[in-house]
Amino acid sequence: MGQRHDGRYTFAGTPLNPVDPGTNILVAGPILDGTRETALRLLAADSADGIVVVAADTSAGEILTGFDALDCDVSGGRVRVVDCNRADDEGLGESVTAVSSPADLTGIGIEYSGQYEELYARGYDAVRTGIYTLTPLLVFSEDVRSVFRFVNIVTSRIRTADGLGVCVIDPEAHDDQVVGSIAQSFDGRVDVRGGDDGPEIRVKGLPDQPREWTPMR
Amino acid sequence: MSEHHPTVVCADPDDAERAATVEALTAADLDVVGAATVAAVDAAVDESVDCVVTAFSFPDGDAFDVVDAVRLAHNDCVCILFTDESPSDLPRGRPDQVVEYVPRSIPAARERLADVVALAAAESTHAAFPVPDREKERLAAVRGYDVEALAAEETFERLTALMTTHFDIDVAFVGLVDEHEERFVACEGANWRTLAREDSICTHTILSDELTVVEDTHEDPRFAANERLDDLDIRSYAGARITDGAGNALGAVCCIDDEPRSYTAAERADLRRFADEVEEQLSLRRRLGAGVT
Repeated sequence: MGQRHDGRYTFAGTPLNPVDPGTNILVAGPILDGTRETALRLLAADSADGIVVVAADTSAGEILTGFDALDCDVSGGRVRVVDCNRADDEGLGESVTAVSSPADLTGIGIEYSGQYEELYARGYDAVRTGIYTLTPLLVFSEDVRSVFRFVNIVTSRIRTADGLGVCVIDPEAHDDQVVGSIAQSFDGRVDVRGGDDGPEIRVKGLPDQPREWTPMR
Repeated sequence: MSEHHPTVVCADPDDAERAATVEALTAADLDVVGAATVAAVDAAVDESVDCVVTAFSFPDGDAFDVVDAVRLAHNDCVCILFTDESPSDLPRGRPDQVVEYVPRSIPAARERLADVVALAAAESTHAAFPVPDREKERLAAVRGYDVEALAAEETFERLTALMTTHFDIDVAFVGLVDEHEERFVACEGANWRTLAREDSICTHTILSDELTVVEDTHEDPRFAANERLDDLDIRSYAGARITDGAGNALGAVCCIDDEPRSYTAAERADLRRFADEVEEQLSLRRRLGAGVT
């Protein structure tokens, strides 16, 4: 059997307490109210972990710039990105791969697995996966059942590989029932809202986490 | 008690490559069947297969044809693409052909594949629908309700007949949601036996203790592209979850019509009462069958 990651995933510099390996977290909030910064903080919190981000709502360059702003070291191939908009990513190197559209769920799935395996081959057995965001996947999909399958495949890999999943959705962009059905694949939910001094979060479904609105820092 | 070994179909047209992959998977305590063509995969896959590992190119098709064949026979089956071709060189599949992927170009690729397959076959789902919490416990609970053995069919048929007149609807049914499909144990107004879980609205109803009401399937993003519902003339839906005493969702009691419609608060309360009656009948008959008084 493969090597398992025994340590819990930690979130230094945020109010979140550690979570077990294999945990999938749905981060729900309006994209303009600090939700991206919140998700990137959760992904970047431990410099020893590998990171794969599916950039569906932005470009790979924006994701890497966002990590850079958090003083997250993206060198050495530790951070890998699947760009779903085939943006102008020239010069970002082999750590960035691209598909033509957020509707190409098969391509995204294959590129994501490839990047995950690349990290594993480099010795990272603790990998944090980000999807930023699920909203374009749902909006561009002709049949939501394909998105359910994609989310089940990604969250299953994260769970069985003892990874960490941080997947973002803008709940205001979808019917409550759709968000509720998508949320079923996740162990817990982090709600995000804009506060006077930056983003605030509250956590549902995960033990020993802040239940009331709490500043991210 | 014998240990269950996940069953894997390994598809590769190259005899030597396939033999090497089969050997690696077998060494990981998996029961492995080899297949050299898409047609051979089609013949080998049924609901007992936990995972299919496939190369990309075959004499009679490609990996996406394999995925189509697998999902026709077993819609939730784990599919893993194992190839040394670069993802960027592969043709793109349809959105519903999304798969897992392990590159054959990484070091010790077959050992890594065996790890991924062993974990995925035992614990993953490639289902195209949301899976409830504690699904294993829920399925064990559903298996405990053999409606035929409980002699509840006639009671449920009377209840569903009463529902169609009470709500003035085309179809009323009691459905139990199994691992891969919904089984209609009583159905007034239609001759339905089963419906694939990804096509069934009850798949969503069992996620919550609140009533699920879909006034118009064409306007609900969860169901607008579901052609199977149109085939069955399901245009509006109201369903109430039924659970066992431990809270496991067994299925739903539902109203169907071929036109968009809404349900008043009083009608919703009545539907809940019908569902409560079904729950109580199931519980009582199961206790009687077990000799519990």
